[in-house]
Amino acid sequence: MIRTPLPMKPSPLLSRVSTLGRVAALGTFIAMGFVGCSAPDEASSSRSDPGDGAGESSEPLETPLGPGAFPLTIKDASGSSLVFQLPPTKIVSLVPSATRTLQALGAQRLLVGRTEYDTASALAYLPSVGGGLEPSLETLVALEPDLVIRFAGESDLSTPSRLDDLGVRHLAIRLDRIADVRSLIGDLGALTGSEGRAEELVAEMDATLHEIRERVKGRPRVRVAYILGGNPPWVAGPGTFIDELLTAAGGENAFSDLAALYGAVSPEEFLVREIDLFLAPEDGGVSLPSSGSPLVRVSPGLELPGPDLAEAAWHLAGLLHPEVFR
Amino acid sequence: MKRTLLAVVLVTGAFVAVFLGTRFGTVHLSTSEFIAALFGGGTEMHRNILFELRLPRVFLGLLVGGGLALAGSVFQALLRNPLAEPFILGISGGAAAGAVLVIALGLVAAGSVVLPAAAFAGALLAILLVFGVAAAADRRLDVRVLLLAGVVVGSFFTAVIAFILSLSEARAVRTAIVWMMGSLYGADWSNVAVVAGYTLPAALVLLGLARALNLMAVGEETAAYLGADVEKVKRVAYIVASLMTAAGVAVAGVIGFVGLIVPHGIRLLVGSDQRILLPLSFLAGAAFLCLADLLARVVLAPIEIPIGVITAFLGVPLFLVLLRRSMTG
Repeated sequence: MIRTPLPMKPSPLLSRVSTLGRVAALGTFIAMGFVGCSAPDEASSSRSDPGDGAGESSEPLETPLGPGAFPLTIKDASGSSLVFQLPPTKIVSLVPSATRTLQALGAQRLLVGRTEYDTASALAYLPSVGGGLEPSLETLVALEPDLVIRFAGESDLSTPSRLDDLGVRHLAIRLDRIADVRSLIGDLGALTGSEGRAEELVAEMDATLHEIRERVKGRPRVRVAYILGGNPPWVAGPGTFIDELLTAAGGENAFSDLAALYGAVSPEEFLVREIDLFLAPEDGGVSLPSSGSPLVRVSPGLELPGPDLAEAAWHLAGLLHPEVFR
Repeated sequence: MKRTLLAVVLVTGAFVAVFLGTRFGTVHLSTSEFIAALFGGGTEMHRNILFELRLPRVFLGLLVGGGLALAGSVFQALLRNPLAEPFILGISGGAAAGAVLVIALGLVAAGSVVLPAAAFAGALLAILLVFGVAAAADRRLDVRVLLLAGVVVGSFFTAVIAFILSLSEARAVRTAIVWMMGSLYGADWSNVAVVAGYTLPAALVLLGLARALNLMAVGEETAAYLGADVEKVKRVAYIVASLMTAAGVAVAGVIGFVGLIVPHGIRLLVGSDQRILLPLSFLAGAAFLCLADLLARVVLAPIEIPIGVITAFLGVPLFLVLLRRSMTG
């Protein structure tokens, strides 16, 4: 079990998680089987393995799709279907959450590079390719990865097409919600042949979230503004995993009506929204109104969606409802 | 004599820049690996590094750098203003507004040509607006009106950008800011081809205007007496230099300092005969941006420094030395 123990967390829970975990495992296993992997012939117009013969794409539907089933098709967040004839053996993850997930899955041996944002000392031996967005393509190519995991969307416009030109396969991921984290763990578990560990991780995550929900049930909801930093400050809006975590932890996002996932808001909003609690990063340099609400600083761990998400939720719930998490 | 020497130095410099930009990068290639890959041997990975990553960047650097420096020279002559540079007439604002708009609307995911196309369209809009305003003010194109119209249109687009960004998501804001800082990161053969298609013919046309621009330095009336078709020269110079700038901005964003400092530096060395100044500015800008990009890639490798930082850090001290020398000498 690769977990970062938090001082707040009572140790007996760990054992309870594993019992609860077995119950939840069935549900998540089913979910993963269908969210993460789909039948190979769905991907007719897709990028595929160089070794993908003409006959293989017309594989019948009955191909058994159990754990470890290859060829494996994963539909990524950019809408491409990737067909894997064999499990990848050299991975560069440009997304810290995915790197963390691979570590938690026990698949760190497959990593051949890291980014400047992967600061864990366990990864220090890996060569860095620079930032997760617009990495040094030369360095990346020289590592000869057979899979690059990258951020989906408009954050980095050139890298996907350059990777295509270079013949490097890439899997786009987007992590907005808790469900995205579940499917990430499922997908990477299937890809690395660690389905069992993936099921365990998801089950543990769900069990911890369930336990938190049970504890805060019936407690008054705390109105929280979750500030990411900046001036005017950026806050988390609806549809984000931060919003979901706040709700799970017995809170209520004071900006659940924001028109975007994240947005800059006027400080006046802080005064009129009757906020009970401000959560802001340690070094965000945010100036907040002195309206009497206590400002609690949180560790940036909450901003890394991944297998540690439930731990972060536990920490968060402890801040919102210390009375039931003592 | 001095001019010939400088021309030889700059041509050599451009070749050296191409060699260094191809030879070095974040990945170390031994001499034998480099030579093998260069002649189509070696591993596929090494060939990819040379032919898919380094060479497109080197060529894009040459074209964009040369184009910006040449456009800067032409604008300085045309507007008779030492502060003129390729972006002074609102092209960067228009291009950035186009780029930021498609980024904010999330349209960029549709394909890798969307962003350059939108930036180019924005630049064209700015060019047409400025030209429209300046041409409407007077049948003769008054360069002072052109300059004012350019600055005003540029400020307007800056406001448009600020407005769009204030309504955008964090991810889009980051992308937009990185784009506006300028970079050769996205260089590939297709955008090298597109930029070459604009820059090389445009450069030939502008070099052909050198004599007329020389005459105009004396004054528009004198130039007309001496047989220059002043109105035509002004229009052609403005439109062609603007289109060339627009093509560069569309693929590489707004790279500062090259278009301002390189022409001035060359002028300090060889004087302001446009027939010498224009080609040497192109050569110097090409070599300079190519080298700046190499430094941007390797100085803090594997992290890339924005190329505008390098052009400023290198260009400004170099320029100040030249300026001081010309004052004292």
